Amino acid sequence: MTWLETLRTGLEAVRAHRLRSALTMLGIVIGVSSVILTVGLGQGAQDQVSAQISALGSNLLVVSPGSTTSTTGVRGGFGSSTTLTLSDADAIADKSVAPEVAQVAPTTTGSVSLIDGTTNWTTSLVGTTPAWLQVRSRSLASGRFFTQAEVDSGAHVVVLGSDTASQLTRGDPVGQTVTADGATLTVIGVLKPSGSASTSTTSEDDNAVLPISTEKAITGATGNSVSSIYVEGKSQATLGAAYAEITTLLQNLHSVTANNADFTLTSQDSLLETANSTNKTLTVLLGGVAAISLLVGGIGVMNIMLVSVTERIREIGLRKALGATPRVIRRQFLVEASVLGLLGGLFGVLLGILGAQVLPPLINQPVSVSLLATLGAIATSLALGIGFGVYPASRAARLTPIDALRSE
Amino acid sequence: MTAIIELSAVTKTYDTGVVKVDALRGVNARIDEGEYVAVVGPSGSGKSTLMHILGCLDVPTSGTYHLAGEDVSTMTEADLAAVRNRRIGFVFQQFNLLASMPAWRNVELPLVYAAVPRAERKERALAALAKVGLAERADHKPGELSGGQQQRVAVARALVTEPALLLADEPTGNLDSESTTDVLNLFDELSALGRTIVLITHEHDVAARAGRSLIVRDGSIQLGAPA
Ligand SMILES: Nc1ncnc2c1ncn2[C@@H]1O[C@H](COP(=O)(O)OP(=O)(O)OP(=O)(O)O)[C@@H](O)[C@H]1O
Ligand SMILES: [Mg+2]
Repeated sequence: MTWLETLRTGLEAVRAHRLRSALTMLGIVIGVSSVILTVGLGQGAQDQVSAQISALGSNLLVVSPGSTTSTTGVRGGFGSSTTLTLSDADAIADKSVAPEVAQVAPTTTGSVSLIDGTTNWTTSLVGTTPAWLQVRSRSLASGRFFTQAEVDSGAHVVVLGSDTASQLTRGDPVGQTVTADGATLTVIGVLKPSGSASTSTTSEDDNAVLPISTEKAITGATGNSVSSIYVEGKSQATLGAAYAEITTLLQNLHSVTANNADFTLTSQDSLLETANSTNKTLTVLLGGVAAISLLVGGIGVMNIMLVSVTERIREIGLRKALGATPRVIRRQFLVEASVLGLLGGLFGVLLGILGAQVLPPLINQPVSVSLLATLGAIATSLALGIGFGVYPASRAARLTPIDALRSE
Repeated sequence: MTAIIELSAVTKTYDTGVVKVDALRGVNARIDEGEYVAVVGPSGSGKSTLMHILGCLDVPTSGTYHLAGEDVSTMTEADLAAVRNRRIGFVFQQFNLLASMPAWRNVELPLVYAAVPRAERKERALAALAKVGLAERADHKPGELSGGQQQRVAVARALVTEPALLLADEPTGNLDSESTTDVLNLFDELSALGRTIVLITHEHDVAARAGRSLIVRDGSIQLGAPA
């Protein structure tokens, strides 16, 4: 009997027992699609965080106030103290002290309600210097960024994030005015979207950026403390040197040592590392859950296959009586099991991909389909189908035709 | 006349693990080409066991069996499958049709394993069905046919490969008298056309139609009296 004939016989058997075939496939479909979705969920979360961190800027170092490892043993809130000042930023910008630093953008952040006519929109207020645009790897969709002169004079100008702009004004916002805490600001530019996926709590695209002097004037803040200092290193290769320069400089300025430092210096790489390690745990966990569901699906497949072969021992006996060799019988069941496994795997992949499209907006989490997990899931389901379908069938194929025919 | 079946000192012992049953105790028999033989005997005497060995569905415990001159007692499983496929047509008491397939697909099944091309298979299957008078039922599934019709489909399946030997184990055991007559008339026709037929039966009027009877008693053949 040719393979083509065997394939036809196998397909026919799948069709002839529709319900049983559907149930067998259902186990595989659920297993495969859940592997794809759960692994995709973990992968998606990881990708998202990576993208957000990368979108912060290139060769970026961030100085924040407060120590992450307090000497008193109490873990102070990240950035809770106000030990960073504008003069720290000026010192870091000094080329003779920190030659590996390219640009410095001291930044204050707060929350503010912007009013444009009747529209009221609460956004984060970012006070900074012109260097911010490049340090944070941002660019403008329209208009211009503010200048050093405008920082010096405390000009009432503002650059809006893309989301903020679309929330607040219709048409081109450049040239329009908005009110913030009673102060009237002229919109001079709109930022391009940052490209990082936004979460429910923070968005790089919902903010209002203005000269740091203006920000202090509006919020009524006195003193020259800042929320954080963004530093761009000259190159990726010398980022370590820049890190060391800034650490030494600030320790000297604040008269502290590494043990009682009142600031924290973070690099993009270290952020990525931390984020990835937590996300890996998540992915492994989700993967475990998925593997279990695949196993449960597999046991279902095994169960149905065993029952179906037992049920069909008479059929095997008859086919043998009519001239089928044990080999032909084995092949027939191999084809049947493979068809079920493959079809189930295929539907599972389709369902998984469909889920990956439908799910993200509902749960506000990205799902990225992993090729490796998909292939692995298909291979597993195929192996399950073949293993549990062919083994009992080949045992039945070894029976004498009459023993098979007599079985009930 | 050439012998199609030659059994010498054939025994069959079933070993159930608990007891050993000597179902056949040294059977010698010869059946010539074109004969129509009825195998009769009381229940449990070994008729079905004999037929399974004749049909190569089971192997003897000892003794030799020549089918059309070939010694089949030493053949491998794959060779036996080929012998069953080419030389033997079976008709079982329980019909043994595949319920999921229409009549003509059941009939063509032996041809599938004989590697006959598809188009020719269908043609021959339909011709065999026509021979048993079921041409217009070719597309019916077994569940849509009466017992007698199902058995006729089984006969068509047994005939489709034009085998040298037709074996039937109580083919009318599950049929009413009218269907029994149908099937037996069919066997008469086949016999008249020169086909070799071995038929197991309990009923004397069935055995009477055959050329001679083999009487099986306690695993041995008594005497082959002409009917
Ligand atoms: N698979 C088996 N295992 C053990 N013993 C068996 C087996 N098949 C048949 N036997 C025994 O062998 C003997 C012959 O059985 P067989 O089926 O050949 O009888 P039979 O003549 O066909 O009877 P019946 O007319 O009732 O069909 C019986 O005693 C039976 O119990
Ligand atoms: Mg019997």
